[in-house]
Amino acid sequence: MVDSSVRIRVHFYSYCKDLTGCASVSECVEPGSRIEDLLQKLFVRFPKLAPAQKSLLVAVGVDYQGADYVLQEGDEVSLFPPVQGG
Amino acid sequence: MRRELDITANKIDESALLQRRELAGDMGAVVCFLGVVRGVEEGRPIAAIDYEVFAAMARRQFDLIFDQVEKRWPVASVRLVHRVGRVAAGEPSLWVETIAPHREEAFAACQFIIAEMKRLAPIWKKPCPGASPPS
Repeated sequence: MVDSSVRIRVHFYSYCKDLTGCASVSECVEPGSRIEDLLQKLFVRFPKLAPAQKSLLVAVGVDYQGADYVLQEGDEVSLFPPVQGG
Repeated sequence: MRRELDITANKIDESALLQRRELAGDMGAVVCFLGVVRGVEEGRPIAAIDYEVFAAMARRQFDLIFDQVEKRWPVASVRLVHRVGRVAAGEPSLWVETIAPHREEAFAACQFIIAEMKRLAPIWKKPCPGASPPS
C-alpha cells in the first residue's frame, strides 16, 4: 500500500514557539488539504496554539499564504504572530 | 534604483553608512531615519529588546517592498539596516535612507518602507526587563 499523505514541515516563530514548545515539527495531511486543515491538526496537537488562531500569520516558503492555500509535498510552512519590526 | 539591505546582529555604524552614500548630481533630497530602542515599554523600564527574525522571508518581503517603492516614486537609492538579536535601550535598531530628486518622494518612500516593514517583515521583539544602561 502506498502512503499518499502529503508531508510538510511546520516552523514556529516568536511566541508560537513558546506555545508549542518547539521550533519546528513534521506533519502529514491528506492530499488536497489546505492550510486551514493543517491548522486544525496543529490546534489538536498543540492546544495552547488554538487561542492565537485569529492573529496567526502563515507563510509557505518565504511568501504569505491564505487559509485556502492547497498544501504540496515538501512545503515549508511557517506560523507566527503579527510582526513587530523597527 | 540602488537597494541595499542588511539584517545584522552587529551595531549600526552610521558613519560607515554615510561614507558609502552615493549622491548623483540630480538628486536633491536625502531622508535618513534612525529607530532607537526606547528604555521604557508599556510604562516599565527595559534594558534591551531581543529581536527575532525569519531572515530568508524578511529579505523576500523587503525586496517586494523595495519593488513597490521603485514603481511609485523616482527614488534613486534605498538602504536599510535592521538589527537582530539583543539591542540595548538607547541603541539604534533600524536605519533607513532614501534618496530622490525632491523631498516629497524621499519622505514618502521612507515612510512607506517603514510602514510596510511593520506590516510584512517577519521580525518580532521581546523586551528584556531591567534598567536602561547609563548613557
